[in-house]
Amino acid sequence: MRKTYLLLSLTLIMAVLLAACQPAATPTQSPAAMATEASTQPKMTEATSEEPVAETKLVVWDQFYRGVESEVIDQLNKEFEESHSGVTIERVSKVQDDLKTTVKLALSQEDGPDVAQVNQGRSDMGALVQADLLLSLNDYAAKYQWGERFSTSVSSRNSFTADGKAFGEGNLYGVSPTAEVVGIYYNKDIFEENGWKIPNTFTDFEKLLADIKAKGITPIVFGNLDGWPGIHEFSSVQHVLVDGKYINDFTYGVNNASFDIEQNREAAKIMQDWVDKGYFSDGFMGIGYDDSAQLFKAGQGAMMITGSWLAGELTTDADQQFGFFLMPQQSTDKPQLAIGGVGIPYSIRKTTKNPDLAAEYLDWMVSPRAAQLWAEARFVPAMPLPADFKIEEGSLFADTVNAWNVINRDNGVGHYIDWATPTFYDTISAELQKLFGKEIDPATFTANVEKDYSAFLASQK
Amino acid sequence: MVGRTLWPGESRLKGWVYLFPGLAIYLVFVFYPILETFHASFYKWDGFSSNRTFIGIENYRNLLGDGQFFKALSHNLIFLIFYCIFPILIGLVLASLLGRRPLPGMSFFRAGLFLPQVLSMVVVGVMWRWIYNPAFGPLNLFLKSVGLGALNRSWLGDFDLALPAVGVIGSWVQYGFCMVLFIAGMQRIPKELYEASELDGAGSLRQMIYITLPGLRAEFGVALITTIVAALRVFDLVFVTTRGGPGDETLVAAFLVYRSAFQQNRIGYAAAVATVLTLVIFLVSFLILRVQSRQEE
Amino acid sequence: MRKPYRWKSFLPNYLILTLFLLVVFLPIFGVLLSSFKTQTEVIQGPFHLPREFQFNNFVNAWTTGRFSDYFRSSIIVALAVVSVSVFLSTLTGYAFGVLSFPFQHILYFLLLIGFMTPFEAVVIPLYHFMYRLGLTDTYWALILPQIGLSVSFGTLWMTGFFRSAPQELIDAAAMDGCSRWQMLWLVLWPLARPAVLTLVVLIFMWTWNEFLLALVMVQKETLRTLPVGLAFFQGRYTADVPRLAAGSIIVAGPIVLVYVLFQRYFIQGLLGGAVKG
Repeated sequence: MRKTYLLLSLTLIMAVLLAACQPAATPTQSPAAMATEASTQPKMTEATSEEPVAETKLVVWDQFYRGVESEVIDQLNKEFEESHSGVTIERVSKVQDDLKTTVKLALSQEDGPDVAQVNQGRSDMGALVQADLLLSLNDYAAKYQWGERFSTSVSSRNSFTADGKAFGEGNLYGVSPTAEVVGIYYNKDIFEENGWKIPNTFTDFEKLLADIKAKGITPIVFGNLDGWPGIHEFSSVQHVLVDGKYINDFTYGVNNASFDIEQNREAAKIMQDWVDKGYFSDGFMGIGYDDSAQLFKAGQGAMMITGSWLAGELTTDADQQFGFFLMPQQSTDKPQLAIGGVGIPYSIRKTTKNPDLAAEYLDWMVSPRAAQLWAEARFVPAMPLPADFKIEEGSLFADTVNAWNVINRDNGVGHYIDWATPTFYDTISAELQKLFGKEIDPATFTANVEKDYSAFLASQK
Repeated sequence: MVGRTLWPGESRLKGWVYLFPGLAIYLVFVFYPILETFHASFYKWDGFSSNRTFIGIENYRNLLGDGQFFKALSHNLIFLIFYCIFPILIGLVLASLLGRRPLPGMSFFRAGLFLPQVLSMVVVGVMWRWIYNPAFGPLNLFLKSVGLGALNRSWLGDFDLALPAVGVIGSWVQYGFCMVLFIAGMQRIPKELYEASELDGAGSLRQMIYITLPGLRAEFGVALITTIVAALRVFDLVFVTTRGGPGDETLVAAFLVYRSAFQQNRIGYAAAVATVLTLVIFLVSFLILRVQSRQEE
Repeated sequence: MRKPYRWKSFLPNYLILTLFLLVVFLPIFGVLLSSFKTQTEVIQGPFHLPREFQFNNFVNAWTTGRFSDYFRSSIIVALAVVSVSVFLSTLTGYAFGVLSFPFQHILYFLLLIGFMTPFEAVVIPLYHFMYRLGLTDTYWALILPQIGLSVSFGTLWMTGFFRSAPQELIDAAAMDGCSRWQMLWLVLWPLARPAVLTLVVLIFMWTWNEFLLALVMVQKETLRTLPVGLAFFQGRYTADVPRLAAGSIIVAGPIVLVYVLFQRYFIQGLLGGAVKG
């Protein structure tokens, strides 16, 4: 008895001594170990790149940590290293939430990452520009002619004035490799069985909802436990009722935009109407987004309103066939407007020692080759696809690429309205939960949200 | 808290020698950053840049004025039931069943019943979100199968039930902690006391009241303080289940801190909330320790 | 000497315990089961058996979560934190519980503030402080603050123990001519076994599961700990439940092991009946 205890005490003391020397020894681990670990799929370049004297290391933080996405980045990194001898890329990939939590702290340090994915909007990119921590990419944009790859609407999303106050104008601070569009996924099997067609107008869409409900099928699979899916639900309808100028003004906080307007109240009313009519999944308030996606994938509902990012998930091991269309407008001659945008952009730390190399890396990440790799991985690239790239006709991916092309061409790329203020995401997701839960009426909803919005605009002056 | 007597001729400073190494690490790596946090609560600061503006007590004024903080704090107080009262009661019952007699199979039970406490919070979140899931979760399915389908709710998404629903998860996680503390304490209670009382014909309830509870006074104090602290600074459970929703029905103070600090770049405000919260926790714990040492005198 | 307990008379105890264990275990069993399922099978129902058991979920979890690197970091950090802080908490607890010195009250409450503060707010100032010291991106950035925090709780716990140690024992030790140091290690330490082992288990568990510090303080792949790896199964848009389940079982394993192992030791003390009141 005593003995075992003595033994334990001894181990403790041993461990103390051990601990004292352990940590000092391990951090000297070479970064190469990390690089090889990060790339489970393609083999890294031979280790011979260790001898050149003029070796440069580029530290890159991204959030493409998932299987296929990660492989695309690894492949691009590998090819970049091959074409730039002496350059190694030290890649740190994180989950998006975790990246958001840490990237600002890291970019404020002298030895922070050279290149990092920084979320658009005021709380991330805006705050960093305000703190003078990001490099303006204007010169590089001219040098590499990024203007030919991205429309103004797209690049203004990654732009701020140099003081970080005005959003959507001024200098370019990032380039995004992928595109996103929010629309409606539909279950092709269910649609075919019942002879339903893709609606052309919003009125048709609401009629379709009623028809589906009458058949005893859930019209829209929805789960709002996490708060943010409600933003896409509400905002999809909002984008039908307002025009592109309003959405731009509102998001960028210019021209006295207000949230407390008739169209927003109308959209809120439609949401509550849909709740009353039972168009959403039963118990949607208590269902998480993941679970709603899995329910939809398993065929438990006819449609789901969400972004193009779900296409990959819906095509792996699914028993059902799915398609994608944009939320129809009130009339067919009104130009298409839909929530959409470009993925999280790559930015450069202002104090990096290798700005030119970093810019070259950015250019590579939005090159035609990158577009091709993304498309092969079934992600919609933000830059044009190579002309010879073939997309399988009638596939879900073809639908999402097509949707992106339509809004891009019509200048109808809307916005995630939660970029509007640093606190807007939290405010609107909470208020929408109250709206969907029928705790508040549409007028209170728009008034409450407007309070956050106008307080922010006032603080900017 | 009264110290014991000095030995004759002993230096009064001897205690400091024992205290020093632990206290030093604590002061440098925990207490100093806490002071810095307190300091930051008087500034407008995004947390990473060098733009720091002194704004006096503005953050505190905001906090007292915006109603969110008090709403959050009231939720913390309700969590006291789930984080403190239930776990201590359950822990006590289980410890009294597990802690005293070396019956066969007890180590199996001890390990099994401790499991909820060791699981990573992320999994606890996923697990319970699925239990409560209105579409395919076992809770609603169970209610339906026993004819209580009318009681089906969307639980975590229900404006009235979300808070208690999260609270129940808290109890489920936390009782294991109390159980372990009490089991440890029971090892100190002399068996002879129980044996004697058994000869006197005392039942297990009387043993519990007259022997176990008084014997566990020290552990009881620790359990009380620790669970109260846990209830008042709960963060991860809310983060992995509801993120404060629906609306702000499950918003708690520490989540407010996290959200302001990491998502909204309002370190000053976050620091102010943290400071007030620490003050509340400290006062409550202080009272408990006071009462406890009164009793001992 | 003592008559052995007849376990049949404890049948009610077993019944209560079993009932409780069932309630606790059903959800965990669900997790266990989903760790063997495919993504699509997960929503078919908790206790729906998988068509075939996907053992490679565990292999996948191991690689996706980058567990091979992270495991080493977790072990190094946990060992260092547990051993140092248990030792230091014993000293501080002894000082507060047995000795008498100036400012005793103030210092006690000063120490307790550590585990009372919501650490979510402190992490950012702490990060800047560690950066100034050049300690970010080293194990020290994880170990030192966690030692501080653990000592804060450990002091509360060990003081409770030492204060309830019988005065007669202390007096007797004094009569025998023990020094304070000897009294701690020769007289009280053996009695402290249940308390110390419990502290070991608790600190180990908290350190092992710590997430926010691990996320913010270190960025190098090789230094990250397991909870950070678990986050890789949860994306913004979709979570990989089977792998998450498998991953958490892997992560929880060592804690359960430590707990079971240490419970063994201190329960054995019961049979000895060494403690006299």
